Order: sequence, then C-alpha cells, then structure tokens
Amino acid sequence: MDEQTRAAADLEPGSFRDPDSRVLRSEGRIFRVLSERGFADWRAFAASALFAELIDEGKLIGTREADGVELGASPLHGPVAGVLEHDLVPFVSYPYEWTFGMLRAAALLQLELVRRSVEAGWMLKDSSPYNVQFVGARPVFVDVGSFEPLREGEPWAGYRQFCMLFLYPLMLQAWRDVPFQPRLRGAIEGISPAEARNFLSARDLFRRGVLTDVVLHNRLERRYASSTRDVKGELKRAGFRKELIVANVGRLERLVSRLRPPRSDSTWSDYGLTTTYSDDDAARKRRFVADAVRAEAPRLVWDVGANEGQHSRDAAETAEYVVAMDADAVVVDRLYGELTGERAEKILPLVVNVVDPSPGLGWRGLERQPLHERGRPDLTLCLALLHHVSISGNVPVASFLDWLRDLGGAIVIEFPTPEDPMAARLLARKRSHDHPDYRRDWFERCLEDRFEVLDSIELGAGTRFIYRARPR
Amino acid sequence: MLTILSYIDPGTGSLVLQMIAGGVAAAAVTAKLYWRRVRRVFRLNRPEDEGTPS
Repeated sequence: MDEQTRAAADLEPGSFRDPDSRVLRSEGRIFRVLSERGFADWRAFAASALFAELIDEGKLIGTREADGVELGASPLHGPVAGVLEHDLVPFVSYPYEWTFGMLRAAALLQLELVRRSVEAGWMLKDSSPYNVQFVGARPVFVDVGSFEPLREGEPWAGYRQFCMLFLYPLMLQAWRDVPFQPRLRGAIEGISPAEARNFLSARDLFRRGVLTDVVLHNRLERRYASSTRDVKGELKRAGFRKELIVANVGRLERLVSRLRPPRSDSTWSDYGLTTTYSDDDAARKRRFVADAVRAEAPRLVWDVGANEGQHSRDAAETAEYVVAMDADAVVVDRLYGELTGERAEKILPLVVNVVDPSPGLGWRGLERQPLHERGRPDLTLCLALLHHVSISGNVPVASFLDWLRDLGGAIVIEFPTPEDPMAARLLARKRSHDHPDYRRDWFERCLEDRFEVLDSIELGAGTRFIYRARPR
Repeated sequence: MLTILSYIDPGTGSLVLQMIAGGVAAAAVTAKLYWRRVRRVFRLNRPEDEGTPS
C-alpha cells in the first residue's frame, strides 16, 4: 500500500478472514469493500424482506451503498466490486469483556439470525460473537458480509464455531462457575469440543445439550479428524434439508435461553449497600460528579470501577456515551440486566479489570484492539477506585496517574486517605512499609504535576477527597 | 476430501452431528404432531385444545 492510500483509509486489521469482504476506516467513517461475489450477495440480500425487517428491528447495523468513495488500492485479492458504509458503533467491545447475560443475548441474536435466514433462503457464513456489537445494552449484528444465499442440502457451517465461542463458554459459566472471559481472551477460536468435554463432570452429562453438543460432537470430531470422505456430498444424498438446520437451531435457542449464571456472591455485589458513606456524603458526592460531567460536556465517558453504575447513569444525562467498566462480572451483569429492561442505549457495561485491561490479540496482535485504542475518553471517572488499584493491585500512584494522563481527557478522581475505613481494611493486609506512596500529599503532588485541578470536595470528615482535573 | 463450504472450518464431525441432532429435533416435532392426532382420535384432548388445529 502506498502512502496516499494509507492516508485515505485504514484497513481494519481484524477483518481479513472472509476473502469476499474487508472493513476499512476513513475519516471517522466505516466502510466495507466487497468482491464481485460478495457484492452480488449484498445486492440480493439488500433487496430481501429479511434485510428490511432486521434493519427495522435494530438487529442489523445500518448499512448503505457508498457511491463515489475512493478508497485506493483494492485490499481484496481481486478487484473491488462495491463499497458499503456502516453506521458507527459508539464503542467497540469484545466477548471477553461481556457479562454472561451479554454473551447469551449475542448467542440468541446469532441463532435467531440463522433461523430466520434459513427460513428465508439465506445463510450466515460464520458464527462469531465478534460479529455482534453492543449499542448500550442492545446487541446488533455488524457483519453484513456474512449473509449469503442458502445452498439447499448443505448443513450449517457455523455450528462448530457457535459451540466453541458461544455455547461452551455459557455452559461452563452456568454449570461449573468457570468464568468464560479469561478463556475467550486466551483463545480467539474459543473452547474446543474436547476441552469442553474435559471441563464437564459426570453429573453434567444429564444436562440438556451435553450428550449431543459436547460428548457426541467431540466423539465425531475425533472420529472424522483424519477422514477424507466427502461428508457434504454424503449428507446431501442422505437428504439433508434446511428443516434440519431450523430444528437444530430451535433446539439450541431453547437450550441457550435456559442457561442461567450461577448465583454467586461476588466481592462487590452488595458494595453499593455497604459503603461507609453517610446519606448526606453520598448525595454530595453524586452532585459533585454530575456537576463535573456537566462542566466537561464530554462526548465519551469512561467510568472505571463503575460498580452498580450510579455515576454512569448520572453521566449519561449529559454525555453522549458512557462505558461503565468494572472487574466484577456479577455486578456488571446486574447493571446490564437493568439497562436491558430500560432499553438504555447510552451506557455500555463491560467487564474490565483496570490493572489488567484487554490487550491486542490475534494475528500480529492486531485483530482485536487494546481497550484504549478503541476510543479515548473525554472524561474518566475513577471513584472509590484508587485504593484498589494502588493497594490491592500494587500499581504505584504516580504510574496510575501517568496512565490517566496518557488517555488524554479530563478526570474525576477520588482519593480515600489511609484512614478511610475501606482503604484501611486493604492496608491492614499489607506490611506497614508496602505502600509508601499511598499518601494524600504525594497523590496531590503527582496529580498536579500532570493535571490542572479545577475543583475538589472533602467527604467523610476528611477521609475522602474528590478532584476534577484537566490534563496539563 | 471435504468440499469447503465456507472460509471457516465447519469440522467434518460437526457436520455429521447436525444430521443426527437436527434429525432428532425434527423427529421430535413430527412425533409431537402425531401424538396430538392420536389423542384426538381417542378424544383425550383437554377442552382448551379442542379448537386448536393440528
């Protein structure tokens, strides 16, 4: 690619797997270039009733043909036959940052799309949760290039991928209380049938779907591993019909919709109720944060350590979009459940541990972007967070402020002094000399070196301080 | 050789499984349909089922 093309459009590095379709970014807009085959499929799909229904229901990303857009040399192996433009997703997220409820909602969307597509004579090329994005709490399918005409007599090619990236992660979480996020972050292809089989116990064999989708699936995979038989042809001759796909997908829809997260008490699930704040202090804190958001008028807010999402909700009154992050998947899933009920689309809840945020993953580490490269916040809220990062996470105070400074936006940050009961509880587990930098005077010095403090408030009889600051 | 259906590997065993699982699910639907007919023949349907065409 020459310099001129590079300036015109950036190829989305995660979109190379489908040879008929690639995604590019250009000047804040998002395009998809299609091969001749891909473009013919798009034209037919765009004219279908199914396409119109899915767009209307908000289940498919808004997409139109982009006429007269010059994107430079073809990123496809052959010539570019057509260019589409997609609506933007406010903040890109990945399955390993979703809660149980979010992955389940994405799985049900994927299954619904397969079922309705097959019934209408269409098919989806793959079953990757990376084709689903969340706009607030609403899942939306973004890979329009995935739809192709159904070939009668052929089975669902994406079934195996569905199991590995949706079904097994949900089963493990629901039945074994094994969090799926670290596994999906660890392997971009997901959990194989053999791995899923090894995770499950004898008791699980009696659960719905285990014998078919895990045990038998694993057996057949091993048996046919070195086979050179034309199974596709054999299936066609045996009378494989699309009704079998519909029946199979319907079965999976019933199975997935019945999976529930295990009822476990997380560290923070009752945190909102057990903070040491008086009612008066809590109200003053809320007002200070809401005023700070109004003063900064941000487009994108990150609420790091969002907990039950009170401040995210307040911020969403003013900001365009709020990403509410917390390391506790149970708390985030509860927030997601509430937002789903409210049909809220301005707050994106994500499972993120700020001291171990999502890195770049996949081929060349570029397929999945690190968290901070998917949109820098104009304002970051760090409330009741620093003592966890510094004392539990062992991140030096100065280093945490460096990170915030690098994000580039304004901050609202709370400093609980070592005398604060919550901070004292964490410090009590450490040796007295472990955290020499966890002092208010040092924190303020580090803060003022990097930021200009515009406003501050004292709470809890001098045990907690909140600052609003802008980068110097 | 397995003809490639898609750019992802569908897995040969996974394709065979769909024949079995899809067949079982389809058979269940068919069986349910016939079961209702059998019940109707023997007039075992509950009153609320009477109006439902099968």
